Amino acid sequence: MNKWLKSILTLIVLMFGMFVGGTTSFAADKPHYTIATDTTYPPFEFQDKDGEYRGIDMDMLKAISKEEGFTYTLKPMSFNAGVQAIQAGQVDGLLAGMSITPEREKSFDFSVPYYKTGVVIAVNGKDKDNKSLDDLKGKKVAVKTGTAGAQYAQSIAKEYDLKLSFFNDSNTMYNDVKVGNTVAAFEDQPVMAYAINQGTDMNIITKPVNTGGYGFGVKKGANAELLKSFDKGYDKLVKSGEYDKIVQNYLGDNSYNYKKNAANEAAAKPTIWNILKENKSALLDGLFKTIQLTLIGIILASIWGMLLAVMGVMPSKIMRGISTSIIYLFRGLPMLVLAFFIYIGLPNLTGSKIPAFTAGVITLVLNEGAYIASFVKGGFLSVDKGQLEAARSLGMPYGKAMRKVVMPQGIRLTIPSFINQFIITLKDTSILSAIGIIELTQTGTLIIARNLQGFRVWLIIGAMYLIVITLLTWLSNWMEKRIK
Amino acid sequence: MAAIVDVKDVHKSYGSNEVLKGIDLEVQEGEVVVMIGPSGSGKSTFLRTLNHLEDTDSGKIVINGWDVSDSKTNIDKTRETIGMVFQHFNLFPHLTVLENMTLAPVELGKYSKDEAEAKALELLDRVGLRDKADVKPTTLSGGQKQRVAIARALEMNPKIMLFDEPTSALDPEMVGDVLQVMKDLAKDGMTMIVVTHEMGFAKQVADRVVFFADGLINEQGKPEDVFNHPQHERTKDFLDKVLNA
Repeated sequence: MNKWLKSILTLIVLMFGMFVGGTTSFAADKPHYTIATDTTYPPFEFQDKDGEYRGIDMDMLKAISKEEGFTYTLKPMSFNAGVQAIQAGQVDGLLAGMSITPEREKSFDFSVPYYKTGVVIAVNGKDKDNKSLDDLKGKKVAVKTGTAGAQYAQSIAKEYDLKLSFFNDSNTMYNDVKVGNTVAAFEDQPVMAYAINQGTDMNIITKPVNTGGYGFGVKKGANAELLKSFDKGYDKLVKSGEYDKIVQNYLGDNSYNYKKNAANEAAAKPTIWNILKENKSALLDGLFKTIQLTLIGIILASIWGMLLAVMGVMPSKIMRGISTSIIYLFRGLPMLVLAFFIYIGLPNLTGSKIPAFTAGVITLVLNEGAYIASFVKGGFLSVDKGQLEAARSLGMPYGKAMRKVVMPQGIRLTIPSFINQFIITLKDTSILSAIGIIELTQTGTLIIARNLQGFRVWLIIGAMYLIVITLLTWLSNWMEKRIK
Repeated sequence: MAAIVDVKDVHKSYGSNEVLKGIDLEVQEGEVVVMIGPSGSGKSTFLRTLNHLEDTDSGKIVINGWDVSDSKTNIDKTRETIGMVFQHFNLFPHLTVLENMTLAPVELGKYSKDEAEAKALELLDRVGLRDKADVKPTTLSGGQKQRVAIARALEMNPKIMLFDEPTSALDPEMVGDVLQVMKDLAKDGMTMIVVTHEMGFAKQVADRVVFFADGLINEQGKPEDVFNHPQHERTKDFLDKVLNA
């Protein structure tokens, strides 16, 4: 019995060891940083049709890194997630058209301001009624979570009786105003002006307020070296005139047209076929990531779940208690909360980064594992107790009797539940888009941020999920038959 | 003849309900003891305490020289010497008949796989089911299942066989085959303790009949004595009901 117990404990320790030990380190001589940016914030950052990130921020970062001799990995995520990732130490810096505010300076160290900005309010281009802030009294307005615009809106919400709707990216926010759910959007002046210039049918109705500058931010007290490099590099770019060139490239006459370049073919003929053709590699990458997450997740979750289930039917009260508590805890937590907790909460506590993919896998293992544990445990318990008695009566010790007689029968009863869990896991991976894993759902978000073809893109993404789930179901049914 | 089972003053309660109120029993090697009595009298519970499927609260149980009531006794080793046959057979449905029989001896290192299979086939021959070696138990009739279960218990070479109402779950026409196997076993000199309602079997095969009532052994003796001249009213009542039903 003790051997049985020991081997299980060893396995648990090994499993955790695997995750914790899974962080990679760069052994290059150049410093390497992870830098977060917004998914779409033209003209500062956006994805071009080849899937590459372009814009003033991006071109500037590239030039500075060359100048200062560092390398970086770019992590596009919603602005709000980026702010949290900085605080969690998951990324080293955030370059996302971020206004320097006194509030933010409490938790960020900022570079010199590299671009002038202020918050403006914009309404639908066809809206003739709302011409000033006073006209918005008592109405619903749109803001982007965690931005200076949102902060400003909140500060005047009481005075003007504004009802705020929160969004994670600018495009969705503009769309909300255009379809009329909200009457106005609070946005940074350069971004709003650029969007209107690029053909977004909206009107700015206020003068910029809370004016200040955009800054590159790092966590307060951390990454001083990176910040210094940024400031030095920026200074050189300004002196050499390259900075102006970059800005002119996006804002000057005959400038780089974001919309045209982002989605020229799809914009001309936004058919499903064109969208598919244009985003083939992005969609396949996303699909691959989703399948990868699902497979790794379900395999590890099955191992973990079965371990918990075995513990849950052990004679030892302590083991049963541990199993029940773990199942209770992780079945009770919403998966999104768990994902944020692991990705953003834990590094805050331990001080060491967890890569998003690893955090996603751990989330899946803990969440799906708890469900697997409870139905496998149920399977074990539903095996007639005469089976254990018969095996023990023949002289087989408890562990052997469980392994050779009870568990094989219990597992067999749970095969349909396993297939079901497999499908649920595949769908649940979409939740992990929230921590910046670019799987199928996040891929869809990014494509829409570019081509604004929400209906068609979500149709494609939905169909892709259905196809994969159908294939998985066939495969599972085939395996189920073979086992029987 | 040495006592192979020696039970002294065994008590057991489920909560406030005392089901065994002080049982004493000695069984000699080669003896066939049949335990009868009304349902709820404690006879099945008592049988299950003998190989420690049930705990006891107090008293002493020594079987094949092992003190089952002592928690330090290696209960697995003890059980290897005790064959147990259940009312509901408890064959392992995920294994074939042959695998059902060879699993424990091979796992416990008692025999090699080949030895275990040879012995199993021999035993299946004895219970008339050699041709069923490779089928799953679900395809067998109740009587066939119980004969496999008996063969499975014998595979471990037990010194004593315990039968817990082995024919109660069978259709009437299946009972005969199973009883025949048990009679043959008795003839071969196996020590057996049988809980049953088959009075015919008791009369024919038992060396001793033990009558249980209300958690106590009410009366025991040679079958002809107990059946023909019961000493207690309780025994008489019970026998009247089952024999003249």
